[in-house]
Amino acid sequence: MNIKITHNWLKEYLETDATPDQIQKYLSLCGPSVESVIKNKDDYIYDIEVTSNRIDTASVVGIAREAFAILNQYGIKAQLKNVIVPEPKNDSDRLSLSISDTKKLCNRVVSVVMDNVHIKDSPKYIKDRLESVGIRSLNNIIDITNYVMIEYGHPTHVMDYDRIKTGKLIIRNAEKGESAITLDGKKHQLSKQDVIADDGTGRIVDLLGIMGTENSVVTTQTKRVVLFIESNNPHIIRHTSMKLGIRTVAAIYDEKQVDSELAKVALNRLIQLFEELAEAKIASKSIDIYNRPTQKKSVSISMGDLDRIIGVPMKKDEVVTILKNLGFNFISDKNNLLTFSIPSFRSHDISIKEDLVEEVARIYGYHHLPSALQPMVYIKQPKESELIFSGQSKIKYFLKHLGLHEVMNYSMISKEMIESYDFDPKEYLRLSNTISEEIEYMRRTLLYSLVKNIKDNEGKKEEFRFFEIAKTYLSRENELPDETFKLGIAVNTSFSDLKGILDALFKELNIESIKTKITEEHTILNKKLQGEIYVGNHLICVFGQLNKKYEFKQQLTKPVYLAQLGLEALLKSARQFPRYRPINQFATVKLDFTIEMDGKTNFEEIKIKAFKVSSLLENVEVVSIYKNRLSLRFYFSSSEKNITEDEAKKDLKKISDSVS
Amino acid sequence: MQNPSEIKKEFQNELDSIHSLNTLEECAVKYLGRNGIVNKLLQSMKELPIEKKKEFGREMNELKSLIHQSIEVKKDELAKKNDTEEYVDITLPGKTYPKGSLHMITPAIEEISKIFEKIGFIRVSYPEVEWEHYAFETLNMPKGHPARDDFETFYFDVPEHKKYAKMVLSPHTSSGQVREMLRLGGKPPIRMINIAKCYRLNWDTTHTPMFHQFEGLCVDKGINITHLKGTISYFAKEFFGENREIRLRPHHFQFTEPSFEVDVSCGVCLGKGVVNGTKCRVCKSGWMELAGSGMVHPNVLRAGGIDPDVYTGWAFGFGPERCTMMKEGLKLNDMRVMYGGDIRFLEQF
Repeated sequence: MNIKITHNWLKEYLETDATPDQIQKYLSLCGPSVESVIKNKDDYIYDIEVTSNRIDTASVVGIAREAFAILNQYGIKAQLKNVIVPEPKNDSDRLSLSISDTKKLCNRVVSVVMDNVHIKDSPKYIKDRLESVGIRSLNNIIDITNYVMIEYGHPTHVMDYDRIKTGKLIIRNAEKGESAITLDGKKHQLSKQDVIADDGTGRIVDLLGIMGTENSVVTTQTKRVVLFIESNNPHIIRHTSMKLGIRTVAAIYDEKQVDSELAKVALNRLIQLFEELAEAKIASKSIDIYNRPTQKKSVSISMGDLDRIIGVPMKKDEVVTILKNLGFNFISDKNNLLTFSIPSFRSHDISIKEDLVEEVARIYGYHHLPSALQPMVYIKQPKESELIFSGQSKIKYFLKHLGLHEVMNYSMISKEMIESYDFDPKEYLRLSNTISEEIEYMRRTLLYSLVKNIKDNEGKKEEFRFFEIAKTYLSRENELPDETFKLGIAVNTSFSDLKGILDALFKELNIESIKTKITEEHTILNKKLQGEIYVGNHLICVFGQLNKKYEFKQQLTKPVYLAQLGLEALLKSARQFPRYRPINQFATVKLDFTIEMDGKTNFEEIKIKAFKVSSLLENVEVVSIYKNRLSLRFYFSSSEKNITEDEAKKDLKKISDSVS
Repeated sequence: MQNPSEIKKEFQNELDSIHSLNTLEECAVKYLGRNGIVNKLLQSMKELPIEKKKEFGREMNELKSLIHQSIEVKKDELAKKNDTEEYVDITLPGKTYPKGSLHMITPAIEEISKIFEKIGFIRVSYPEVEWEHYAFETLNMPKGHPARDDFETFYFDVPEHKKYAKMVLSPHTSSGQVREMLRLGGKPPIRMINIAKCYRLNWDTTHTPMFHQFEGLCVDKGINITHLKGTISYFAKEFFGENREIRLRPHHFQFTEPSFEVDVSCGVCLGKGVVNGTKCRVCKSGWMELAGSGMVHPNVLRAGGIDPDVYTGWAFGFGPERCTMMKEGLKLNDMRVMYGGDIRFLEQF
């Protein structure tokens, strides 16, 4: 989160010569990041990023503490001012106030009633400061609550005592079906986890730590107020705030666990300002229900561990000074084991020695540490991952050079997409909290997305040739899904283009002796134009034309041709290096032969048979296809002698006999 | 039978019509080759009466040397000639070859892997669909941590695992940290780089629900902050350029302690924040946020079976999308275009 404070406000707590630029520079390097400094009349506004574990720095006082420790490290004079918020002088019992928290839902609740409240404009310095930090000034009593929150870093709340009517606040969980109207006039349905206060009659008068309610909010008529500060359970606050969508500054503080000790200080500061700026007077006993007091703790760090983690030797006195300046109390030094007590405002973020290492190292200055590469060691990379990564790279570049475009689609797809291909979404892993129906189910195939890529791009160009390498996710019982890398290809050019891409890819990967199985069962594909490719017994590819039914359903203007390959199987069949064959010194005889194709055989079968029956056959090429006439060119030669044309013809005869 | 003068005439005519070295070569073979016209005629000489043989022989020798010389002269002539006299517009495009493209993230991933390979880091791959145990629990993010909220992380509609709790889509590559420690049996050294898809519930102009991260993890005896600085500095110089610097600023992450945010100096103003007296328009302050990093939290080491009193480690996580955009000065006004599959985006890379 970001917080804004002003330079003059900071200087009420910090005596320093530092310029705003120096404060920005050194705080950013060693503490909270000061993202900008803007001059505003005779003041400067700091915009500061506060990390989620350091809500104590989301305040003027917190930044003053950080600046004190940091600036001194850089030789810039800085001293924390000893600002004392007085304890209120006397309780009163003119007005009754009772608060109960029987289920101990809050860590701490402090409260008091004040009467004789005079509502008016705030003094100029309060108005100016609030508006500088982005908070609209309304009137003195609302402004005071905001002022104290920014100053001390604890959310505060004020309610109209008379509008509560009973003088009672019962802190409890909301019941199912209860609702509340917040002070911005919005109605919210509550649930059991939400913590509310009712006035003893069941009427909800506050959503604790989130926002006040319309029925208890102070108005211009308000005369008597309840000052109400709770230290809340951060998890409950976050849950309620996110669920109801109420992201008030108070909620953002409270969900980060504000120091409970601060509650009392903040109350005293509220009282002080109410007396000073609204002429109010304490009218009730002051209440302090402290269910979970902050535990005092100490943490030890050895000089050895400091050096071991930071990487350069630290001086002991410097370490002690840094930590003392940050508010840690030095307790003891036993054989270089330094023990410090942790101040309450750091009790949630400091608990182990590494936390102290961070404090010392950051104030010492990360920019003062040298840079060095760690010693080299050899780590063996598992062969499977090496294969997958290097293979992917090779394939991607190859397909790119063939003119294909690589896409990356989301791993999640819609229910509609699955159903449009007549599959059951139940077979798919489903997200229970997706933000869009478009991304609800984990892909089991890359092809749907690739078809969509073509569809989405229609009209932008004529021809599309896409590929994607990504994981698919096959769900398994009580186990993580089977995540396997697939290569998907989709083109709207021609079947021959798709087949050519596959052939070229196999050649590039030196995959030899593939076998095609003509199939019908892949429903996404045209029953008459689909197949599987095997290397040995391993299925490496399914390819074909997108089923016409789906082509129409997706309203595609041209047929689409698809292939999906299992990357691992593909790469396992690949050879790094092609098989070398000695150059044949002897002549080759080329003979052409035309076969009438009757649908019972195919090129691949002819090829396999031809090699089986002819020992002189070196290669077979397709010369032309005309209607059902397939013209082939056979290359015959021997590695031992020049063969005669007659010898070649004899082999061709064997071939033609075997295939007809 | 032809007589030498006829052949001479024929040859002269033919020679005049020759404009290329190839046809000249053919012509030479035709007349002077083993089975050439001249040889054939010489063979026919034996049929002549003896008195004519002498005369014929002399004529033939003259013819032979004439052809030979003429060809040599012609050869020189042709060689001296300009290569072509035809006008060719060499600015016209040549034969068209297909131009494909890689997704813009692909070359970045390759480059990053190579940079870390050089200093001994191996690339690994771990599940994207992960148990809460590895995505959070072992990373020191106990139940109730905001990152585990169901508006921060994607959860699956499957029963909880008894030991590993809910199934999630990993919101970061850090889920692989403890998996790598366990793969090595809790026995450092570890030098790992993990580049993978990650998922979070943001979908707007600056966020996509799927994005990439790359994670570095180094665990060994004596690993300290200076090594993290050294490694990130090495990466920044390799990836962005020799003149770039890095700096660490304090930050907070659950799985590292201490934690740092990493900035890289701006490539335009080189860290000064000022160019020719005016504020740098690219970076504003001289530095640009690059990554999160830190020393591996002792609880994470313990979860990986490693004793934090013996070993220390560092880890970092970068967004390769952001790195590429920063490197190339690329500004996408809508990040969603990255995974939208629009050909007009894809074909540019």
